[in-house]
Amino acid sequence: MTYPRLVLRNLLRHPLRTLFTTLSIALSIFLVCAVLTLPAALDAMFERAASNVRISVHHKAGLTYWLPFSSVQKVRGIPGVAGVDHYSWFGGIYDEPKNLFPNFAMDPDDVEAVWPDYGIDPAALARFRKTRNGALVGEQTMRKFGWRIGQEITLRGTIFPVDLTLQLVGVIPAASGNPLVLWFNRKYLDEAMEGRGGFPRVGMIWVRAERPEDVPRIIHAVDDLFRNSEAETAAESEKSFYTSFFSSFRGFIRVILAVGVLVVGAVVLIAANTSAMGVRERIPELAILKSLGFRRRPLLAVLMAESALVALLGGLLGAGGAYGIFRALGAAGKTGGAVPFLGPLGAFRVSATVGMEGVAIALLVGLVAGMVPAWNGARLNVVEALRRLF
Amino acid sequence: MAIPLAYNVRSLLVRRWTSLFTLGGIALVVAATMLLAALVGGLQQMLVSTGEPDNLIVLRKGATSDGSSQLSREAGQVLRTLAGVARGPDGTPLASRELVNQPFIRTRAGGRENVLVRGVEPTALAVHRAVRLVEGRMFRPNLGEVVVGRGTLARYRGAGVGSQIEFGRRRWTVVGVFDSGGTAFDSEIWADVNDVQNDTRRDGYSGVRLQLDSGADRYAVVQRIASDGRFTLEAKPEAAYYREQADNANALYLLVLTLAVVMATGAVFGALNTMYAAVASRTAEIGTLRALGFGRGAILVSFLSESLLLAGAGLIVGMGLAAIAVLAINTLLSGVQFSMMTFSVATVLLRLSPGGALLGGLFAGAIGVLGGLAPAWRAAHLRVVDALHRA
Repeated sequence: MTYPRLVLRNLLRHPLRTLFTTLSIALSIFLVCAVLTLPAALDAMFERAASNVRISVHHKAGLTYWLPFSSVQKVRGIPGVAGVDHYSWFGGIYDEPKNLFPNFAMDPDDVEAVWPDYGIDPAALARFRKTRNGALVGEQTMRKFGWRIGQEITLRGTIFPVDLTLQLVGVIPAASGNPLVLWFNRKYLDEAMEGRGGFPRVGMIWVRAERPEDVPRIIHAVDDLFRNSEAETAAESEKSFYTSFFSSFRGFIRVILAVGVLVVGAVVLIAANTSAMGVRERIPELAILKSLGFRRRPLLAVLMAESALVALLGGLLGAGGAYGIFRALGAAGKTGGAVPFLGPLGAFRVSATVGMEGVAIALLVGLVAGMVPAWNGARLNVVEALRRLF
Repeated sequence: MAIPLAYNVRSLLVRRWTSLFTLGGIALVVAATMLLAALVGGLQQMLVSTGEPDNLIVLRKGATSDGSSQLSREAGQVLRTLAGVARGPDGTPLASRELVNQPFIRTRAGGRENVLVRGVEPTALAVHRAVRLVEGRMFRPNLGEVVVGRGTLARYRGAGVGSQIEFGRRRWTVVGVFDSGGTAFDSEIWADVNDVQNDTRRDGYSGVRLQLDSGADRYAVVQRIASDGRFTLEAKPEAAYYREQADNANALYLLVLTLAVVMATGAVFGALNTMYAAVASRTAEIGTLRALGFGRGAILVSFLSESLLLAGAGLIVGMGLAAIAVLAINTLLSGVQFSMMTFSVATVLLRLSPGGALLGGLFAGAIGVLGGLAPAWRAAHLRVVDALHRA
């Protein structure tokens, strides 16, 4: 009988027990994957959305403080700057108040210079530049509302005293990492506000540096440019901006992760228990194997392999299940917006990386849970054990 | 005749490691469930308890929160003098015109957060009756003075009576601390509305809160505000406004419940293993008990109580763990930071609730019963001859 066969036979000796342990680990890993998805989605969003050459320039006092529109032009003069565009939060509501999504007034002319990595169709960009009330919309928002290219939609202003009717001229691909946003021309908002003094302000300026190594210098140059002016700025890398913007999620995520740790702890205890039971029942058998000349190492390996195999199976089942189920739910439109304030994180897709992490955690659980019982089994005193037997 | 419970306690103690591990597993499941429930509970408590029953909140039509609403100075003036608005002892209308701002403030840890600064008039304290000054005094208008919510004290640099706190375009003097009884206001800073208008270079208000006369027809007032053609406004009872915000938390609750059920199911399998093993290793004992005259029912009840005993102990330990975790998070981390209605940060204190404990108890009970029933059934139906034969 080969060692792998011995492992398999042992596992099938109590099929019900093996099944229960596998299921218990599978369910726990399913949960762990779900729990890990939130922080992983946040990190992935930073990685994707945060290009290492983009800089966010906003008012030093906060995001609710406007910058004068003239600041945009001044930033363009800084050496090493490849492109400058800007964002002004319009905060318009489509149809129902609960349909929240970010919509910004900005400049169509500079999209290509600042966001060349977004993969926006050049034809759509051309339409965006030409159409006075044109808008580009993120793929996910487009799908959520079932919009079509060419359709006209009305955004009701809640901060601005105007409603805007926009024509959708193109899509911002989901791969940009910015799949919820809607962009429209600042000039259109300026015209709509004409009777009220226009809109000579911007909320934030986006700068793209020619080279990543220029970024720190440009950040300093921007802040120096506006020091002691009416609107002092705080420039920072795009990544640092998003990290700080979403920092309020960190506390929440910490609690969720604590729960994940508790779940892993619980499953380690359960698996260790089963594995200890298995070894305890087989003491006579192990003693006989040892007396037949089997050494400590191979026995240890066999016992550990049992525990690890069950855990691995459970891990694959749990992680695979999480991957499949959440993907299916997402495809059916059941997730995403279920937890609206989580924003883009609400989409809840278990990534392959998270699935792999789940399997790795399962394997670790199996090894940890199997270690002590297997050790005890392997270093059994043959004489003692056999005496107990007979 | 029933088998004494002491038999089960002793059996558990004999297999002390197995028992301890199973107990630990159940305890961790209970703790995780209760911790999640405490998070959701704290969130709901914060939102549901915010708002006065006879107050209206008036925002721009379509705005989901006062952070995303803007109304003109004229609208504010009209609302203030609306019929049906209650008046204070000195005859001033109990209308609180407010401008919400979300500047950066440095945390004591050195980070930067968006904090909700509410520009208000001195009447605000009369309109928001849950808000009470607990230290110092109310700010005086136009002097750059602020009062801070109790929840901000430990978190932000300069948040303390007599200190200067830096945000917006200037430094502000903290002259008082207010407590709103755990509602969302506790994470805010209140300043004079004129000061905030100057600092943000914004005119007008975010919204107006109205306290209505006890005799006023609330519905008629809401209608009158909605039908005023000069502005696009929408009035809502404050309680309804915060209930809508709390609906977000309900979606979270569903998520938590799903997580907890899956977790508990996993633990049932663990308990099943333990109890099956317990039955298997005590076959001879069971045979002896049956031979002594204990009936099938007695055996069934005995093994089931053993499983429940384990689950009960797990429940108690789990509750203890959850209480420690909640206490640690609330005191060491001063709660969980969260942003919901606006992008500014609110601090939620985790809250152990009877509901959460009940949920934990329910799961522990289910683990005990489901994990013990099948093994107990097997124990009860062992044939005496076979069982004794194996001995």
